[in-house]
Amino acid sequence: MIAAELVPSVPAASRVWRRNMRVFSKVWKGALLPQFFDPLFYLLALGFGLGTYLATVNGIPYKQFVGAGLMSSAVMWAASFETTWNIFFKIEETRLYDSVLATPVEVQDVVLAEVAWAATRAVIYGTTFTLIVAIFGLVDSLWAVLTPLFLALGGACFGMLGLTFTSLIKTMDWYSFYYTLFITPLFLFSGIFYPLTRLPDWVHVVAWFTPLYHLVQITRGLVLGPDALSVLGNALWLLVLTSALFVIPVRALRRRLVA
Amino acid sequence: MSAAVSARGLVKRYGEIVAVDGIDFEVQSGVCFGFLGPNGAGKTTTMKAVYGLAQVDAGELSVLGLDVRRERREVKARIGVVPQEQNLDRELTVRENLDIQALYHGIPADGRIDELLDFTLLAERADAKPGELSGGMKRRLLIARALVNRPDLVVLDEPTTGLDPQARIAVWGLLERLRSEGVTLLITTHYMEEAERICDRLVIMDEGRIVAGGTPAELLERYGEPNLEGVFLQLTGHGLRE
Repeated sequence: MIAAELVPSVPAASRVWRRNMRVFSKVWKGALLPQFFDPLFYLLALGFGLGTYLATVNGIPYKQFVGAGLMSSAVMWAASFETTWNIFFKIEETRLYDSVLATPVEVQDVVLAEVAWAATRAVIYGTTFTLIVAIFGLVDSLWAVLTPLFLALGGACFGMLGLTFTSLIKTMDWYSFYYTLFITPLFLFSGIFYPLTRLPDWVHVVAWFTPLYHLVQITRGLVLGPDALSVLGNALWLLVLTSALFVIPVRALRRRLVA
Repeated sequence: MSAAVSARGLVKRYGEIVAVDGIDFEVQSGVCFGFLGPNGAGKTTTMKAVYGLAQVDAGELSVLGLDVRRERREVKARIGVVPQEQNLDRELTVRENLDIQALYHGIPADGRIDELLDFTLLAERADAKPGELSGGMKRRLLIARALVNRPDLVVLDEPTTGLDPQARIAVWGLLERLRSEGVTLLITTHYMEEAERICDRLVIMDEGRIVAGGTPAELLERYGEPNLEGVFLQLTGHGLRE
């Protein structure tokens, strides 16, 4: 594959991003509003419900432990929805990209734009939830102001994962596999609801290979007072995965949209 | 006069199927050039190759003097596309569809949008969503969208298919005005009367090949037929709508 078909144009990508922002600013109060409440309900049910019986975990109040973890999952869910159902709809149903690609915008610009947009949407949802967590008094460290930066990285990573999957599937049916066998297990087994510290070593090894585990390490670190090296190490992991995947949706979508 | 589009030995396969089977054609600047043929003749694939949404397997294709394969962005910056399938942005209004098109091209929208809304008689529906428009209005909006970047060449894939006679005449009117402004038009159709009425030159396509070409009058004379329907039947042994 030649560089001209792989290297994105940032100005072109930003135009596709701005189109998404424009649509979002019109519709967020409707269909997208309920998603803001999702992590809040988990925080209330588990943090404040279960947390009444389970006072502390690793010396941290349970509601604080869960709240910091849910900031990460809010990002995962928001970014995933954006680059799975939404993108599939744009490819197959509204044929939006056919019109976009008939302008000077190229496939690699679309990939960059959609991942950046998924990250943006993840930041909007994740930061809103972070503020709620802070209002409940569950943030200890001033470093938490850096959270949006890392939520963006996490959102980009899950946006890229979703887009990669979307670019490779032929029908929407495959999403039930993606959510049931990938996203939901990550949600349950990445250390959001209980620490992995006392579990067997192999659990840690498996967790290390999953993206949400690293994002949880980051958000929990920032909220409770970070170990800078650990935050950067986890961030690097997410960055490497996100960048490494880029070529897959570019090639797959080109085959699909520019046949 | 320079060629707006020039194709030599163009081949496009989809797996086993040869959609375009080694065609040559040349479109001079400022003319309305038609591709006439039944569904499946390879017209749409040829159009997609011209506007960069199909990668050709063999042959040479130059658009506005540029190599479509190597200068994709440059080519697309200077052409307008009216696709066969309606792919307007459903989430945006009529006006926003045009604004966003200017954005994709990286050009200021300003007065051009109002001009196009007037040109396509959509000014009163500027705030409607595409879903609220009639078939004819959607087609006019697709045409307006294709003109946002003031293209030198507009590719129209079956611009009047599925429209009622009145809407079709409105589209023809727009195309005639564009041609009078010197815009090169590349158009596919399976309507004989449309080809005779608006095309300066045309080629007849069947099963991926070009079987004849010329001005409508030349074709009628060469094959001794009163209309293009007869020419087509004589050349291919079958009608247009099968």
